[in-house]
Amino acid sequence: MKVQEKPKKSLSNWARGRSLWMIHFCTGCGAMEMPPTMTSRYDMERFGIIPMATPRQADLLLITGYLTVKTLKRVIRTYEQMQDPKWVIGFGSCTLNGGMYWDSYNTIKRLDLYLPVDVYIAGCMPRPEAIIEAFVRLQEGIARGEFDGWRRYRENLAWYRANQAKVMDVNRWGALP
Amino acid sequence: MTPQDLKTLLESSFPEARVHLPRVRRLQVHLPQPQVLPALAFLKAQGFGHLSAISCVDWIEENAFELVYHLWSYTYRFHVMVKTRIPRDHPTMPTARQIFRVAQTYERDIHEMFGVRFPGNPRLVPFVLEDWQGPPPMRKDFDTRRFAEEVYGMRSIETELFTRREQPYKGFRKK
Repeated sequence: MKVQEKPKKSLSNWARGRSLWMIHFCTGCGAMEMPPTMTSRYDMERFGIIPMATPRQADLLLITGYLTVKTLKRVIRTYEQMQDPKWVIGFGSCTLNGGMYWDSYNTIKRLDLYLPVDVYIAGCMPRPEAIIEAFVRLQEGIARGEFDGWRRYRENLAWYRANQAKVMDVNRWGALP
Repeated sequence: MTPQDLKTLLESSFPEARVHLPRVRRLQVHLPQPQVLPALAFLKAQGFGHLSAISCVDWIEENAFELVYHLWSYTYRFHVMVKTRIPRDHPTMPTARQIFRVAQTYERDIHEMFGVRFPGNPRLVPFVLEDWQGPPPMRKDFDTRRFAEEVYGMRSIETELFTRREQPYKGFRKK
């Protein structure tokens, strides 16, 4: 893989970090932690993050939980519909190392092989405080120009495609069986 | 009709059937493979119109798959299990789709997870496993852990996640 270029601080990067529109791909039980995070109890909107309904209008993809090969395909399609710059948060142990599905035959174990993950939240499952901390860390990293997963995905597309092709038929995306 | 009545009825109609009453409101029928479909049609005519599920059990030491057809009657309110064993080497079972249409989906599932063939079922296409390349995963001789290691790759402590140099997190309040 190519080495990422030197982080660049800029006013636009600072502004990007201050307004994150999040699309959450809720596959597993981790989605249960999102309602309190979004609503009045923990209220992530005070950090400038708000959920969005469609991938084309979002710039943060939050993947909460395990991904089977079938859902991974949909996640990759969702990610590729988003506009640059965009970031990915892997939520919970399932995206990190498989979690409780560590020896399952149909769930992926490492999300970063298939998508450029910027921040991982460890835990099964993480509390809203942990989610908010990850958001804040992501915002600060964006402001410093560090998190450039979208650029890494573009530059190393062949590497990611090769990993994706290992578990799925990348030529048949969208084709129903 | 009580389970006891159905037991006598089945034993008179299917001499090879072994019928047990393991619990209250439950009836087990063991049948050789060719008699399963006639028995299902017979039970449906008796009022057991609901095929709740078809399950498959892998008896690897006896080299057999056991197919269990779960039937329920809304009239008599008891549960009938029709069990049959088929050889594990060439598992083939004629489809029950003509008797219960819902069997098409259950058979599709068993075909995917155990590799049992159901001649006569027109739709044995992949169900939940997309782009699956391995052997049927619910068989007992399928090593799920080794398969996961080979295909997905486990995260080890040496992977780049833990060795990548990152700036320490200093909290969100600017000094």
